[in-house]
Amino acid sequence: MTYALELSDLRFSYPDGSEALRGIDLRVAEGECVGLIGPNGAGKSTLLLHLNGILPEFGGRREAAPSMIRVFGEPISSANLGSIRRAVGLLFQDPDDQLFCPTVFEDVAFGPRQFGLVEANVREAVTRALAMVGLAGFETRAPHRLSVGEKRRVCLAGILACEPRILVLDEPTSNLDPRGRRELKALLAAIPATKIIATHDLELVVQLCTRAVVLDGGKIAADGPPVDLLADEPLMLAHGLERPHVLQHRHPH
Amino acid sequence: MRADLFDRYSYADSSIHRLPAALKLAVALAIVIVTVVLPVGRWDGFMVIALLLIGVAAASRVPGSFIVRRLVTLEPLALGVAGLAMFQPHGGRIFATMLAKTTLCLLTMILLSSTTPFAALLDVMKRARVPDILVSTLALMYRYLFVLVDEAQRMRRARASRTFRPGRWWTWRTLTTVIGQLFVRSTERAERIYAAMIARGWS
Repeated sequence: MTYALELSDLRFSYPDGSEALRGIDLRVAEGECVGLIGPNGAGKSTLLLHLNGILPEFGGRREAAPSMIRVFGEPISSANLGSIRRAVGLLFQDPDDQLFCPTVFEDVAFGPRQFGLVEANVREAVTRALAMVGLAGFETRAPHRLSVGEKRRVCLAGILACEPRILVLDEPTSNLDPRGRRELKALLAAIPATKIIATHDLELVVQLCTRAVVLDGGKIAADGPPVDLLADEPLMLAHGLERPHVLQHRHPH
Repeated sequence: MRADLFDRYSYADSSIHRLPAALKLAVALAIVIVTVVLPVGRWDGFMVIALLLIGVAAASRVPGSFIVRRLVTLEPLALGVAGLAMFQPHGGRIFATMLAKTTLCLLTMILLSSTTPFAALLDVMKRARVPDILVSTLALMYRYLFVLVDEAQRMRRARASRTFRPGRWWTWRTLTTVIGQLFVRSTERAERIYAAMIARGWS
């Protein structure tokens, strides 16, 4: 069967020699929602940057052969980077890194324009994406005048406008207030794409994900259903995590 | 931080704000060119332009104190150059002319930028076939000016909250490390922005 994502023995070292990924094997089927958890510095962000070909090309040594990652059966190579990046939408941790255009419209239109859509279709894609994240009418706003939650949603719209088949999200709920977190989770739940979510928000993993993967020291330490993994207190504590509050007492309230 | 530090009045409303951005940009450029080519000592010409600009300022309802403050911040840069003219024969006259010219040009640009959103100006430039690389550079500069100021302010606050030693010398010394830090952070951010750009298909 063809997996949405297939990583085999993925290794990566940064130019300063620090090993970030030490042999990752992971297969993700289409439609799965994978929560990637683990302590700071476990290699979560590094792993995500590989999924649409930003690493190893960007920065570090070309240590990993491109064929170590397959997206819908296709190995990532310099020839198919364009189509890979369209298929895999990447949400960065800091919205200020991702919102680099002077207006919301320009920013959401950036991806579709890069992928060669004609202007009328670009407009349509932007309107649709902004409506999806609940920010219809924000087109002319300047990014520096938005709240963190709004910025994050504009970033998401910028990705959704490219209609990706896989969504890769780096800490989507960090720095959000509880309402922002709740709204974002509802938004993510409504998007049918395959999702890989790196997060410290363990409740999100329990609520949204169909599978949890624990990453520590550049290796996969555990992989399984979120409720089973996250309720395993010794496992959680061994990897700098904890049993989330929602799993503390299983009796109905 | 004050997200409206540089464009507090750009999104306000007045008869001037409602004019098309292309018209405002064209008129502003025309005023600047006329001001620059006026010969030394044409005080009547400078007067006419000054009155025109004051009229626009009044109609735009941008507070005078805001315009003056901005002018005072920018003027020293121009004054440094004008100061050199004092060493020439008839230096006083040349100096006064240069001072008048820079003040009028700065006033024009301040009025333009506080009555027009920057994104609208970029849009006009794009339509006027200004090279794409220049427009993109301006757009990125405008976007990250706010992030940079924000970052500098956070660092200054963090430093102030741990500074127990008063004194100017100490302040200056730490300022240099702040500038260095800011530079390092900016390069790191530039790398992340570039990654975010290629992630959405930039090539």
